[in-house]
Amino acid sequence: MAKTSHAKVEVLIVGSGIAGSTMAVELGEAGFNVLVLEAGPERQLSDMVSSQIWSRRLRWAGPEVLESGDLVGAANFAMGWGTGGAGLHWYANWYRLHPDDFHVRSLYGRSLDWPIGYDDLRPWYDHAQAYFGVSGDTDPNAPPGASYPMPAMPVSKQSSAIKKGFAAEGLTLTPNTLAINSEPYNGRAGCLLDGWCDAGCPIGALANPLVLQWPRARKSGVDLRHNAYVTRLETDASGSKVTGAVYLDETGQENFQPADIVISACHTIWNARLLLLSSNDQHPNGLGNCSGTLGQYFTSHALTTIHGLFSEETEPHTGVSGANTLCLDGYDDKQPTTGAFGSRAWLVGQAAKPNDLLGTALAKPDLFGEALNKYLRRASAHYGNMTVLCEEDSIPENRITLDPSKRDRFGLPQAHVTNSLPKENAARSDLAKAEGLRIFKAAGTSDAWAGPQNPMHMMGGTIMGRDPSASVTNSFGQLHKVDNVFIAGASLFPTPGAINPTATLAALVFRTADYIRSNRSALVP
Amino acid sequence: MMGRRRFFTGIIPTTVWTSIAIRSLSCNAEAKTVEQTSFLILSTTEAETLSAWCNVIVTGAGNAGVAQFVDQSLSRAQLASLLLLRYLDASDMTGFYRNGIAGIEKESAHRFAQPFVQLTKSQQTEMIADAVASKMQVWSDPDPNFFYFISRSDAVDVVYGTEAGFVDLGIPYLAHITPPQPW
Ligand SMILES: Cc1cc2nc3c(=O)[nH]c(=O)nc-3n(C[C@H](O)[C@H](O)[C@H](O)COP(=O)(O)OP(=O)(O)OC[C@H]3O[C@@H](n4cnc5c(N)ncnc54)[C@H](O)[C@@H]3O)c2cc1C
Ligand code: SF4
Repeated sequence: MAKTSHAKVEVLIVGSGIAGSTMAVELGEAGFNVLVLEAGPERQLSDMVSSQIWSRRLRWAGPEVLESGDLVGAANFAMGWGTGGAGLHWYANWYRLHPDDFHVRSLYGRSLDWPIGYDDLRPWYDHAQAYFGVSGDTDPNAPPGASYPMPAMPVSKQSSAIKKGFAAEGLTLTPNTLAINSEPYNGRAGCLLDGWCDAGCPIGALANPLVLQWPRARKSGVDLRHNAYVTRLETDASGSKVTGAVYLDETGQENFQPADIVISACHTIWNARLLLLSSNDQHPNGLGNCSGTLGQYFTSHALTTIHGLFSEETEPHTGVSGANTLCLDGYDDKQPTTGAFGSRAWLVGQAAKPNDLLGTALAKPDLFGEALNKYLRRASAHYGNMTVLCEEDSIPENRITLDPSKRDRFGLPQAHVTNSLPKENAARSDLAKAEGLRIFKAAGTSDAWAGPQNPMHMMGGTIMGRDPSASVTNSFGQLHKVDNVFIAGASLFPTPGAINPTATLAALVFRTADYIRSNRSALVP
Repeated sequence: MMGRRRFFTGIIPTTVWTSIAIRSLSCNAEAKTVEQTSFLILSTTEAETLSAWCNVIVTGAGNAGVAQFVDQSLSRAQLASLLLLRYLDASDMTGFYRNGIAGIEKESAHRFAQPFVQLTKSQQTEMIADAVASKMQVWSDPDPNFFYFISRSDAVDVVYGTEAGFVDLGIPYLAHITPPQPW
């Protein structure tokens, strides 16, 4: 069937999540003619129904991912589908990577180095926190930067109950930093602490793309096409420039969208897969894969949740779905003991409703019948939790590949993610779990237990680097050999640190947008 | 495929199960009392088995309509599905439930020569305890432990994840946008 062809745009962005929508605003407001292609449907604030059951409609509904290894299972949970992507149901924990996170290879002889350091990103972190609206207090363990635009959230009953456990370990619990308004900010409401963030925040207290980026993007003339699944990028005959993207519309019809610049912002797995799917005679192993590293160095965070029941009432249904308090004490000690490696961060006091993956019922999956009923009645008033994120080394064996033997619903080779936690990271995670159980016992829990180790966040696969023979892009996310293609998102991270990725992802988007603006005449003929 | 059991590692001492007294219907089962008897995807027998299984896991789940909840979601595109399973393995959700229900029946026939719905409460409880402990004798696919995990989540959804369920647990609902229906 002949492809439908469209009028050329200056900038084509694939994916309308936090990465794609932020980039769209930055370039739209700079006067570029911008089109965003989004695979999922149009979303409205009215879709953010306060229910863990209804919230599932906001989640990933794209092709399946094959996963193997011992730290897998996050793919469908971690991604969004439709306007705003996962930005409609993220928790807004907002952290900067620490200076050492950028130089792990140089400092410790393992994992990788970034091509930039903390100081390169610091002004963009400052910019991003004012843009998104971040509340928090100064934390002596956090990297230096501008003060947060809003004061921290009040300390919750959950955190108060847990705090003494940290004190007993000689650790300090500080108010969390969140892209959630602790008071009205830039025309958006303050948070009501009702614990529904996981189902979306329709009042816009939590920075989500429907309230933050899309009103601005539309005002600046950015066009957004839904139900448009991009299947490959096409190059010119020389292979040195991309000419546009092929996508399937909702009728299954193939379309070709020409563009001067293409920015892939469709999340970690799909950024790598799109480049792999775009192989041609000039790029037989995938676009931007002259180094052979495309898809490699996939990383995650090894997450363990500590659960407990407290004698005091903790009001676990209140607060925010992200953490209420935070402990970064010891984050910079990446070698806490022989045989263990990596940073760790404690996120304390997440709001919990009865159901869904992070709910109180699934915290004790072995209980059923009357035992479950009894537990839930107590947990509804006395439950507390905290989660530790541990660093995973970047290794080439952990990677995203195509499985040509399995086809997805679009007839394309399925994405296959392999991720196993290196031994010394696993030992670090075990130490953290033991620490967490000690903290909960010292806090006086009548019952404390640890959940299983799970992956959270997906990073790497299209890593940035100085050396074109060992990385996919430069520090601006620009493909080494095809300079009109950029990548936006956490797939660029050479190392993941042990903190949630979105503040860093956003800082990188602002830095790349600035680079594109500054090099406009070279990039747009 | 992903490590499905990863979400569920707690293996508890079997002594806990022996003292469990199952109530036939919970006071919170009015969450959504469903009279409907026709199903879109599941057969009536399959639905009855699933309902009985979930009812032992969460008292009141059958009356709250767990089988209808699963059936309705299976009849929709993945985009509109309300099932937790979609986070974990959306490749063949209908096949997963069908095979799981067939697994319950196979195990029940092997152990007691009876369909699951006709077992005594203590026989049903014994089977579920063995799903928790990964001790099924003839049912292996889908992993009974994972099927328990998913069906338990469905049962929790319809009984405790609704506005009525919150009231029953004494939790203020505090909605921004009230669900148009419980599910
Ligand atoms: C429950 C949850 C809680 C989280 N909490 C936090 C937190 O507290 N702090 C934090 O830092 N991070 C958090 N995250 C992670 C955060 O949401 C992500 O880092 C961020 O949203 C990623 O943005 P993105 O734009 O790169 O990707 P996405 O938001 O996933 O957007 C990608 C978009 O691309 C579209 N797409 C994919 N493939 C194609 C294609 N081929 N063609 C066209 N479109 C395509 C998708 O439909 C999607 O809309 C959380 C994530 C989840 C799921
Ligand atoms: S707790 Fe705050 S941020 Fe979360 S949904 Fe409610 S108002 Fe929004």
